[in-house]
Amino acid sequence: MTTEKNPTPQQIKDKDFDLIQAINSGEVDKFQDLVKRYEAKLYNFSLRMCRDPSDAEDMIQDTFLNVFRYLKNFRYETKFKNWLYKVAASTCFKKRRKSKFAPDKELSLEEFLPNDEAEKPDHVPQWALMPLDKLLNEELAGVINKTIITLPKKYRMVILLRDIEGFSTTESAQILNLSPSNVKVRLHRARLYLREKLKGYFENDR
Amino acid sequence: MTGDDHHDHKHCLEMFEKLSEYIDGELDHATCAKIEEHANNCVACFSCMETLKRTVALCKNVKDQPIPQEFSKKLQEIIRKVVPIS
Repeated sequence: MTTEKNPTPQQIKDKDFDLIQAINSGEVDKFQDLVKRYEAKLYNFSLRMCRDPSDAEDMIQDTFLNVFRYLKNFRYETKFKNWLYKVAASTCFKKRRKSKFAPDKELSLEEFLPNDEAEKPDHVPQWALMPLDKLLNEELAGVINKTIITLPKKYRMVILLRDIEGFSTTESAQILNLSPSNVKVRLHRARLYLREKLKGYFENDR
Repeated sequence: MTGDDHHDHKHCLEMFEKLSEYIDGELDHATCAKIEEHANNCVACFSCMETLKRTVALCKNVKDQPIPQEFSKKLQEIIRKVVPIS
């Protein structure tokens, strides 16, 4: 029987492959191109994670500096973008700054169960039925961003990766070193939390 | 909940637990069919499903802010200090 020792994992040649090859081959000044390519995405991700713009700026700086430090070790086993977000998530968790807006508490499914019989809706609310482009304005986008920031960090990170950044369950699990089922549990609770706040916004706050 | 003889509160809870996976297309065909059948007979669950779907759709369509030019320049400066020019 022949066994292959340490088989070389397949390399993923994404749109960043050539640029990273060039940087790692000595054209380090091209690292600025990589920063330019992702700074806007990372800026928004960091803002939604940190709330405070200066904390978000620190997070981006630290992320790119860590990426530069470890880029030589990048083996193209995943898309560069996924690795970048892994570094960003790790940088964010290491800060471990406690937030008074989003204490690190567990969200239980029970707290989002529909209310008792008397309060159950007999129709679908208008905000779930009207065309999305008529509904989503700047004010509502602000409400969504502000609500996400009040989620405990571990739930916030998952909903950002899945529903804002567009990573799949598997990719999010890899980025956060979680099992896919754990990602699903956190995502569901984060969405239910946001849904409750949006319900409140549409029913009472406007 | 709807006065339907076939309605069972247990089904509401089962559906509630799986709604996100349903929305994301991560469930098998049989489970999806079960959820759809239940939602068609339970206004409260149908409403819950539609508002959650809408919540997800809103998140997916929230636009990013442009990065402030000033910060972008600052970031370049910081990187320039660390990254040696070849």
